[in-house]
Amino acid sequence: MSEIRVILAIARNDFSYFFRTKWLMAILLSLNLSDMLVVALVYGNMMTFEYFNYFVPAVVVMGLFAASMDTGRRIWLALREGVIQYELSLPVSTKGLVMAYLLAGGAAALVYASSLLLIAMLVLQAGAIVSAIMLLPFLFVLAMGLAGIAATLSAIASTHGEFFFAFQNVVQIVLLTLSTVYYPLDKVQNYLPSIIIPLVSANPLSLAAEALRQYTFLGLPIEIGLLTRILITSVPFAIVGSLAYLGALRKIQSEGKI
Amino acid sequence: MFAVETQKLTKQYGKVYALKKLDFTIDQNEIMVLLGPNGSGKTTLLLILATVLKPTSGKAEVMGLDVAAQPTQVRKLLGVAFQEARGFWRHKPADILRFHASVCGVPKTKAKSTIEDLFKDLELWDARNKLFMHLSGGQAKRLEVSKVLVQRPKFAILDEPTSQVDLRGKRQIWEKIRELQEEGSTILVATNEVREAEYLADRVTVLDRGKFVVSDSVRRLKDSIAGGDIVELEIDTSEPKSLEKALNLIEGTVKITNAEENRFKAYVSMAESWVPKMTEICYQNKARIHSIRITEPSLDDVFLHFTGRTLREDDK
Repeated sequence: MSEIRVILAIARNDFSYFFRTKWLMAILLSLNLSDMLVVALVYGNMMTFEYFNYFVPAVVVMGLFAASMDTGRRIWLALREGVIQYELSLPVSTKGLVMAYLLAGGAAALVYASSLLLIAMLVLQAGAIVSAIMLLPFLFVLAMGLAGIAATLSAIASTHGEFFFAFQNVVQIVLLTLSTVYYPLDKVQNYLPSIIIPLVSANPLSLAAEALRQYTFLGLPIEIGLLTRILITSVPFAIVGSLAYLGALRKIQSEGKI
Repeated sequence: MFAVETQKLTKQYGKVYALKKLDFTIDQNEIMVLLGPNGSGKTTLLLILATVLKPTSGKAEVMGLDVAAQPTQVRKLLGVAFQEARGFWRHKPADILRFHASVCGVPKTKAKSTIEDLFKDLELWDARNKLFMHLSGGQAKRLEVSKVLVQRPKFAILDEPTSQVDLRGKRQIWEKIRELQEEGSTILVATNEVREAEYLADRVTVLDRGKFVVSDSVRRLKDSIAGGDIVELEIDTSEPKSLEKALNLIEGTVKITNAEENRFKAYVSMAESWVPKMTEICYQNKARIHSIRITEPSLDDVFLHFTGRTLREDDK
């Protein structure tokens, strides 16, 4: 069996693990749907602009973020339960194993976010289905990048689950706060120091949310520039995450634990 | 070519040596049993051969492939049943085995029938729809061993394959391991269960505190203990003292005790060659043998003989 087929088999296995975790599915779906159908609606009535139309696409990005970050929980579980030793004995290179986890993280998050996207498109009666489909590969790369962050966190947290979840919350607060997921850039500029604003603009979550709003829901023509920026800002996360996870696996191989 | 060969293999955790300059070989198609108490380095050796751990120094080869330099190639040849069962919590046993089979390149149709057979043979049929996290210790262990049995690897590594498994289950697993050998696999089993070692081993390697102690067939290891075989005799004789003297002269006799008038206890090497000589002497001395009872040393005695400690000592 070729390396790629083994990587895909491991990725498929981890992908299915995500959807088998029913309690997680229930939590994610209830949070995201309540964000979409309750919070957005209520806030929409309090805002001076069409907040409902603004926020519902962003919930798709939040779902993508949350589902991607679950990669870290699964990696942490594999480390804690010793499943990682089993995986290290499978006929795949250590780098291939890392790749499998990131692929699974990206794919699981994409499928989950796609279901939210479908609901959002129904809610907002958006018709740019082709644009939505064209965005998916870019969302997949972003999800892999976020899975890379999650992998890094789990590698740092080692077998201490509480650390992983604490780190995850910090990253979540930072990445979502410093983004245009919740509010447009002109509103964000009102409460964040100007020095941070370029970071908010460059945040891949902002870019993805913006792309969804413009191309899928407003039906504007797709601009390659924005999509390229999503790739450029996501890939480093995936690379850093791969290296961190690879480092953790190498440490297990040399020291027996991390 | 040896199936497995290590040269001065060393694994160090900080200042602690888990393995120290281990030289060790396994022949092709052999069942090698690693025997040693907890902390003797058995699992560390297995994990290095399984490419899960990297050695600190020295060399280990599986089928001529260096485990440190060519881990991916080595992984294609081996299957591992870990000491603690490793499974995906939310997967069912069949999912776990199907995944393992697919990753290891077992054709789907073959995997399906093998998995079904294993479920029946290893009494996992009733547990087939449970999630891994709900399996009992024994069921999880049987599932762990099943991974190797579905895969049929060239080199199988089994770390305490029957721990937590009931007596009947142990026997079933041992039979399956034997079948694997008959199909051409080389098998390495780590255990601290003497019965398991005696049942399975073509050769036994004794490890103690990370060091190689001795390696040989069970028979030869037992025979290497001078006076290890105990022959208890009940003999009718009018001259017990002279008979005792004559028995003492038989080659291989280490000690004879004569607790009661017609009861003798002989500590001998290789009872199988000692007993015929003893019967001849009894015949010549007109002594009538009522009973003979032979007790051979266990592998625990072998371990004690070579290390000065018992297998269970470190567990206490």
